[in-house]
Amino acid sequence: MSSQLSKLSFIWFILILSSLLSIIPLPEYLSFLRVPWIPLSLIFFTIMTPSMIGLFSACLIGLILDVLQGGILGESSLALSLITYITYRFRLQIRVFPIWQMMLSVFILLIINEMMHLWIEGMIGKIVISQSKLLSILLGSLIWPFFMGLMQNLQSRIKTR
Amino acid sequence: MPFRKNNTIDRSNPNYSGLRIILIFILSSGMMYLDFQGNYTDRLRSYLSVAVLPIQVAANAPKKIINNLKNKLSDRESILTENQLLKKENIQLYSKVQQTYKLEAENKRLFELLKAKPEDGKNFIFADIISVNQDNDKHQIIINKGSMDGIELGAAIADSKGIIGHIFRDQVLASEVLLISDPEHGIPIEIARNGLRAIAIGIGSYDEIILNNLPNNSDIKINDVLITSGLGGRYPEGYPVAIISNIEKVKGDSYLSIGAKPIANLKNINEVLIIQDIKKDYPNE
Repeated sequence: MSSQLSKLSFIWFILILSSLLSIIPLPEYLSFLRVPWIPLSLIFFTIMTPSMIGLFSACLIGLILDVLQGGILGESSLALSLITYITYRFRLQIRVFPIWQMMLSVFILLIINEMMHLWIEGMIGKIVISQSKLLSILLGSLIWPFFMGLMQNLQSRIKTR
Repeated sequence: MPFRKNNTIDRSNPNYSGLRIILIFILSSGMMYLDFQGNYTDRLRSYLSVAVLPIQVAANAPKKIINNLKNKLSDRESILTENQLLKKENIQLYSKVQQTYKLEAENKRLFELLKAKPEDGKNFIFADIISVNQDNDKHQIIINKGSMDGIELGAAIADSKGIIGHIFRDQVLASEVLLISDPEHGIPIEIARNGLRAIAIGIGSYDEIILNNLPNNSDIKINDVLITSGLGGRYPEGYPVAIISNIEKVKGDSYLSIGAKPIANLKNINEVLIIQDIKKDYPNE
């Protein structure tokens, strides 16, 4: 049971860390480096340890993200729980994909996340499509193999300890 | 990864059931509707924002640490020169203040002659920046004073040079400031030279705000200073906002397209001043 607890605390530690990374101050010309860490880590945990995380966790972290980014309340929670749901439905396929197909599916998931944001922001009347956001999504799917490797390494350490 | 029991195909995992996603859809749409329609979700937001305050502080910690290190590592000589410069500036400012005593007295006398209501006093509170919104189209900052410190919704925020914005969400320990450069922000201004009134609107750039709806024959020149007009009741009167940087006549359009550069340094805000009215009761009114 304590290993369950340590796994759970690891997941939340990573989620909080990624929300921290998503608001870290960066100069404007480097803003494409703001990779969507929270969607990435949610996708990872949904694929690898789906029993430790769920739609309500995704919703909660979305609320935290909304408050942090000053957006309309409920925007990110909707988008994040949607991609968590889709990831869960396809997680067994994604897990056995070769690496480039995995990256492609992560890219599609990130695009869906961004589309939800654009859709909601468009409905309330402020639609802004920035190039740096698209670049950061591309970058996010490009670093997916490294991200996955790092997280798996960390997780196995947690388990063996 | 080994194939364990909790990783088997299990479409009925209640954590991911279709019912739950529908529930979340309804919940978050309702929340978005309430948030968009008015301030119904303010309480929820303020509780959540107290909870996430440590994350915001932690995210901005590296910047602060670097700044502190810079201060500590800068050599004695540069500190001394800076000190001297500040002393000079201080003397200059004091000499200006001396003149304002006279002006203030004169103003008061004139007000008495007119039997007009004297202006309310202003309360100045210093605050530090906690975090800056990183989205390019949301020009918002968070400062470290909240309703616990007596900050009220709508108070104007300025730095040492000019107006920065106003408080649009007050939380318990912090408050969120909408900058004058935000695309959703408009500030009622007048030209200091001749009192021509207009509204300056942010366009999402730190270097420019624009003035709409000034006709082609308006008396406006480059380098005119824009000050707050006090209309609308949100901003106090007479604080500098921006300087006109370009005026363009668009062919076939009956309005000028005017750009102004904010006087306050919006890109690099460090300390801010919260300007609040001191509420006085006027028994006869």
